[in-house]
Amino acid sequence: MTARQQATTWGRRLAALTWKELLQLTRDLPLLLFLLYSFSLSVLVSGAGITMQLTNAELLVHDADHSPSSRELIHRFQPPYFAFVGAIRDPREGLRHLDAGRAMLLLEIPPRFHEALMSGERTAVQLLVDTTNAPQGLSAAAYTVRIASLFGAERGLAAAGLSGAKASLPMVTSAHRVWFNPTQDERWFQSIAHVLRMTTIFAVLLPAAALVREKERGTVEQLLVSPLSPFQIMFAKVLAMSGVILLALSLALYGVLHPVFHVPMKGSTGLFFLLTALHVFTTAGFGLVAATLAKNQAQVGMMTLFVVGPMLLLSGITSPYESMPTWVQAVMTFSPLRYYIDITYGVMLKGAGLNVLWKSVGAMLLLGGTLFGFGMWRFRRQFQ
Amino acid sequence: MALKEWKETTRDRLFLLLAFLLPALWLVVFGYGLNLDVEDIPFAVLDRDHSELSRDYLQRFIQSRYFSFQGYADEERALDRLLTDTKIRTAIIVPERFQEQLAAGEPVAVQTLLDGTFPLHTDIAKGYVIAINQAFTEDRLVEYLRAARGLTGDQAAVLVRPLSVEVRYLFNEEVRSTWSMVPALVMFTLMLASPLLTALGVVREKETGSIYNIYSSTVSRAEFLTGKLLPYIVISLVNVCVLWVMAVGLFQVPFKGNFLLFFSASVLFVFCTTGIGLLISLLVQTQMAALIITMIVAMIPTILFSGLLVPIASLTRGAKVQAHLYPAMYYTNIVRGSFLKGVGADVLWFDLLALGMFAAAISGVTYRLFTKRPRA
Repeated sequence: MTARQQATTWGRRLAALTWKELLQLTRDLPLLLFLLYSFSLSVLVSGAGITMQLTNAELLVHDADHSPSSRELIHRFQPPYFAFVGAIRDPREGLRHLDAGRAMLLLEIPPRFHEALMSGERTAVQLLVDTTNAPQGLSAAAYTVRIASLFGAERGLAAAGLSGAKASLPMVTSAHRVWFNPTQDERWFQSIAHVLRMTTIFAVLLPAAALVREKERGTVEQLLVSPLSPFQIMFAKVLAMSGVILLALSLALYGVLHPVFHVPMKGSTGLFFLLTALHVFTTAGFGLVAATLAKNQAQVGMMTLFVVGPMLLLSGITSPYESMPTWVQAVMTFSPLRYYIDITYGVMLKGAGLNVLWKSVGAMLLLGGTLFGFGMWRFRRQFQ
Repeated sequence: MALKEWKETTRDRLFLLLAFLLPALWLVVFGYGLNLDVEDIPFAVLDRDHSELSRDYLQRFIQSRYFSFQGYADEERALDRLLTDTKIRTAIIVPERFQEQLAAGEPVAVQTLLDGTFPLHTDIAKGYVIAINQAFTEDRLVEYLRAARGLTGDQAAVLVRPLSVEVRYLFNEEVRSTWSMVPALVMFTLMLASPLLTALGVVREKETGSIYNIYSSTVSRAEFLTGKLLPYIVISLVNVCVLWVMAVGLFQVPFKGNFLLFFSASVLFVFCTTGIGLLISLLVQTQMAALIITMIVAMIPTILFSGLLVPIASLTRGAKVQAHLYPAMYYTNIVRGSFLKGVGADVLWFDLLALGMFAAAISGVTYRLFTKRPRA
């Protein structure tokens, strides 16, 4: 046989095996339906439903002054950040609301508030914050301080006769320009984040479960005595599953992200799909390693959960990567999702190309190659 | 039945090890590693003024723990590149004549460029910038009023800042992220690990065909299902205790509530989570489908809709409905309430009731769905 013929047979066998994996997958109706749901409806709900920016912080007010000033201050707590849930007469009643979780903030305005402001004295309002959810509590407090000090400065300067159109004061004002998502539309971020999550979960689990299933049933021995190399067996599974995942991803992209949320694709679509394939391969490497370590699907489930959980929470879509402890950042250099996040947001929102992303791509190639190599080595050693 | 399942589970050493190890290890990793506070935002500066005052102003950013200084840029294009490359998330451009204008008593606008890809972080970074600008402005104003009006420093300060806010943080007095995270993480690990324990139970027997032995035996439906659940409920409850000890001992989270209440809520919750796994196991035909569906059903709503990261109040209506249809939210309320707030059944009764209803509903549906005479 010539080398060329050999290559064709090799390719044909790989294709046949890939086809078999696809067939097997399509017979699993519940799984297919779920895959469809995960990349369509689920993206829709998560994309539209979540705002992590401070929204609707329930605000209770105890106004002991009932003056124009106190009313104006209260009026400055506006949606979407705050939701005014009511005024109370007794501070203890407010505490009960905070206990029950019906309100997050209680603003107390002291008596003589107006008088003090008008006569240029110092005064203070009190804010009680429920910080069982620490970041939101801090954010709400920061907003309140900002609103109150601005209000105070206006009043103080007005009392000194320094306000109005003509007054010119040495102030530093903030002019912001937000790039890549000018309106800070959180649906862009959330819907992409959801697709990243789903892609990662499926990429780890599908090939891993497929491989361990053959082990569990013993059909892997049959495959090994056939003229197929271990590489072909493993690669066919990844190939089939990647195809399915990429298809599902295009459904999410063209069915939800573009038409519903108007998420832009600033960079090259081809590059995005290519790099997604790379991500799926690399992540599948984790699954394959787990599959060679596990004896049955229950074990593989536990092991992949072990890897997927931290990957999803610590790679940077759930929490700010830059603020993580250094050891977490170090561990996460092994998470393909960490690079894929930069790649996806880079290509879609920033229009980044390979000239910017080459480092992430290189890291992922290295990681994927290593994982695949290690998985192959274990797989061979187990059966040959 | 339970004994048989127990034996099968214990025979699989690796699985058993993982079942106990995973929740504990996760609590450590996430408890120490999951930091939600936005700090160390990388930023770069373009200083077009090069004056004493502009350096003084920028120093406030450089010294802030919220920002991490990455260097000066010579031109705006360099900032563009750094932002696109995600080397920085924020850029500050100080305009020419910054010092001159401020000294003459004129307002100056400082331009900030923000990376908008992560809107939450963008918003927080914006807040930090505004706060620093406000503080700097107040200092400039005090200086100005002293010079222009001949006021004392204190008089000027009252004019500039007559109103202060005394903030009191309730329930988590030092506002530690760990304190608010760890109790919710107890929920998180239970919600994720428990359904996976049971998810393969029935479907494994379906795949290997050994379920026909059950169909033809005298074992009743209830006996079979309880047998499938019981060992894993026990494992999960042991995990509840381990997690509780770790939260209180290792992370020093105060436990202000009633342990009995917490534990009974945990029992109900574990019923729900293991029940969800079993339910999925009944509905699908292959272990692979059971595995993937369970993992996504357990993971996605728990990350997004349980109150772990996003407060329920800031969800839109559709998402809120989904949050209420899922037991995790109620348990989060109970766990946070018991640990940090120290509230009792008088406040948490509704969440308890909801959990109880979920447990009953899941068991009921599971019982109805499992027949010993499947069609075809």
